[in-house]
Amino acid sequence: MKSRLLNYGIAFLVILCLNFLLPRLMPGDPLQAIYGDEALLQMTAETKAEITARFGLDQPVWKQFGNYLWRLAQGDLGYSFYHKAAVSEVIAAHLPWTLLLVGSGLVLATLAGIALGIESGWRRGSALDRGLLTFLMSASGFPSFFLGILLLLLFGVTLGWLPLQGARTAYGGLSGLPLVVDVLEHLVLPAGTLLLAFLPGMYLLTRNSTVTVRGEPYILTARAKGLPDWKVRYHHGARTAMLPVVTATGLLFASRMITGALFVEIVFSYPGMGSLIHNSLIARDYPVLQGTLFVTTVLVLATNFGVDLLYRSLDPRVKDAR
Amino acid sequence: MHVSYGRQLVRSGFGRTGLAIFGLLAVVALVCPFLVRDPHLQTVQVLEAPSAAHLLGTNDVGQDLLARLLCGARTSVLVALCAGAASTFIAAVVGVSAGLIGGLYEKVVMRLVDALLVIPAILVLILVAAYVEPTMWGLILLISALQWQGGARIVRAQTLSLKERAHVSAAKTFGAGGLHVACRHVLPDLAPILVVSFVHRARRAVFMAAGLAFIGIADPTMVSWGTMIRHALDFYYLPAWKWWLLPPGICLSLLILSFLFMGHSLEKAMDPRLRDA
Repeated sequence: MKSRLLNYGIAFLVILCLNFLLPRLMPGDPLQAIYGDEALLQMTAETKAEITARFGLDQPVWKQFGNYLWRLAQGDLGYSFYHKAAVSEVIAAHLPWTLLLVGSGLVLATLAGIALGIESGWRRGSALDRGLLTFLMSASGFPSFFLGILLLLLFGVTLGWLPLQGARTAYGGLSGLPLVVDVLEHLVLPAGTLLLAFLPGMYLLTRNSTVTVRGEPYILTARAKGLPDWKVRYHHGARTAMLPVVTATGLLFASRMITGALFVEIVFSYPGMGSLIHNSLIARDYPVLQGTLFVTTVLVLATNFGVDLLYRSLDPRVKDAR
Repeated sequence: MHVSYGRQLVRSGFGRTGLAIFGLLAVVALVCPFLVRDPHLQTVQVLEAPSAAHLLGTNDVGQDLLARLLCGARTSVLVALCAGAASTFIAAVVGVSAGLIGGLYEKVVMRLVDALLVIPAILVLILVAAYVEPTMWGLILLISALQWQGGARIVRAQTLSLKERAHVSAAKTFGAGGLHVACRHVLPDLAPILVVSFVHRARRAVFMAAGLAFIGIADPTMVSWGTMIRHALDFYYLPAWKWWLLPPGICLSLLILSFLFMGHSLEKAMDPRLRDA
């Protein structure tokens, strides 16, 4: 446990250093690298002097680093000249949408992946198994953003069934149930994209695990007792087969889905962290870009760490091995 | 090693399909300059539908889309091969040296590998690339630097087991040095693992480079499928998506798919439990 904690500690430190050093290592004025060209034009000489003093840009590097850490500890991620607001506020407005998207995608992909994986692995070599395997393997070759574009073109542009972009109707003035329906309607395509993009991984994991479990002696025992097939499959087989799915490997999909969601959001202009990264790249709004990537990376690290903890409590064999 | 992995690759349906698709795209990447006109050439015929002069039509600045599509193969294949090879090389050097040298060196290196493994590569890539704005070769280096850790872990584990084999101890008794043992006796036996690692890293590299271009970080002089998709998406309300947006997306997916299929069939060849009876 200690060693895992150390890993995350080192990883966090690497991220911190990268975030701190990158803008300062760039050639030219550090103010320009931190805020970008456009923001620099808006600044008066006094603002520049004030920021230089506040960041301690005229002080030695180790002092600047201490300063940086201190402000970070207080939740201060800097100021965006583009949004005219604190970076932390901008991120707080976008983060919930990403969490909603990732959460719904994760639930859908897990449920569908497990169900299909068990059915397919149990009847290994059948037409159903071969069909599913080929179809889902092929689907997993598509980058998430292209899958999103395909769904957008099919259901949004050609058929016109679902809204093309955003997370809710702009200036709709909706509240109560209509608002919920509106939000769900906008969620269908992005969440569907995440489902399609992450279903294959979940499915393959469950299928391979089911294939290995199926040959175990206790399955034969269960059959010999005369239990109905579905009971053997779900009560005896699935329970063991689920182990890798709910533990480390399976839950790592959560962290991968966070990064996957960033790309999908850009396709649908879904107002989460991905769109924030995209827009701050276009606007050269470096403080927001850096802050968003930092928060997302910490989110992924925290998810991975949570998975590690959960893994230990779910599978007692891992604890005993230490 | 009684299983011939090359034969397994050609024998399995997935492996054959993957090899065929990759071969086709690699040939296109090699000969594209002789097939089509200059992909950078801008004309006044903008947003044209496919015709005899422009088989896939033109984009918003009048560039021939077929030329851009075919030359985009060159960028993607090059990124895949170079980044795949470079990251596998780093993984091999780090993994083999850690396994053979051991001691404090191994401890420090493996700790670093484990720590880097939990960092999401694509996020760091976006951050660094946004500041550095790398050229294609810079991008290849950056991607390789960000995705060698997983391979290093596997290579080290295998090296540890190879180290105890009789032929390695025999070589050591005859006075073979560390480098000789590594190159002559360990690396050849690592070949299958390195090949699988190469295939996976190549696939991830294509995906990362395309994703980066899609969110808008790309060398503007470079013709790439990711950039094409990004620009075409701005015009999705026009019928142009049929010949502007779909072809690069499909080509990109096919290339990633070919690596996926090859990797799947190689892994199946190595894991006897998954091998067909």
